[in-house]
Amino acid sequence: MSSSNRSAANSWLMLLLAGAFEIVYALAVGGSHGFTVLTWSLLAVVFFLLTLWALSVALRTIDVGVGYAVWAGIGAVGAAALGPVFFDEGLTLVQSLWLGLIIIGVVWLKLADRLDTAEEPLDQLRHAQAVSA
Amino acid sequence: MHWLYLTVAIAFEIVVAIAAGKAAGFTNRKWTAITLASGATATYFLSRALLTFNVGVGYALWTSVAGVGITLLGALLFGQRLTWRKALGVAAVIAGVVGLQLSGAA
Repeated sequence: MSSSNRSAANSWLMLLLAGAFEIVYALAVGGSHGFTVLTWSLLAVVFFLLTLWALSVALRTIDVGVGYAVWAGIGAVGAAALGPVFFDEGLTLVQSLWLGLIIIGVVWLKLADRLDTAEEPLDQLRHAQAVSA
Repeated sequence: MHWLYLTVAIAFEIVVAIAAGKAAGFTNRKWTAITLASGATATYFLSRALLTFNVGVGYALWTSVAGVGITLLGALLFGQRLTWRKALGVAAVIAGVVGLQLSGAA
């Protein structure tokens, strides 16, 4: 019991780490200026691999829909919040609200996957058959 | 041009999502290679798009429109049902994209 709790906690820690890696990745891709700035470009490549690795480890135990939702949410909110810190950019209040709606939309979309799957096992079965056929 | 770059980046990100699922935790070598190659291509085109877009705006557009694309492709090609929950998410993202554009951020 305590060991499974610990492994669940580790998975969530790994998921949060993947989200943090994704923020660095997003900022580095922006800072690379179309991969013409060496330091940011190297950072982008390293964190591209790190975020994929951490996410794949976390998703071994955390549900895919929930995991993706948390990861995508952290990445998008983090990039929007920290973008103005590192680069010369800013958003008006109205623009921030629209950006917030987009982020809520994509997090909801990933969670909906999970909710629909839980509710409609028959649909999933049909889908699996359609894919394997 | 930045919308074109973003569109290409989104298309490759959709391939990443499909390939990553088939890579089965990166144990399948072929699909892992496709995942990494598509991810690298998506990243390159995203970086071109971010020459114009704000990082926060461009990144959110990229990941969320890719999410919408995955949902719609799942419904059109893979026979997944477009439930009201998913439709709501799709609508929120589309409304946000239009709103961002009208407010001059994209």
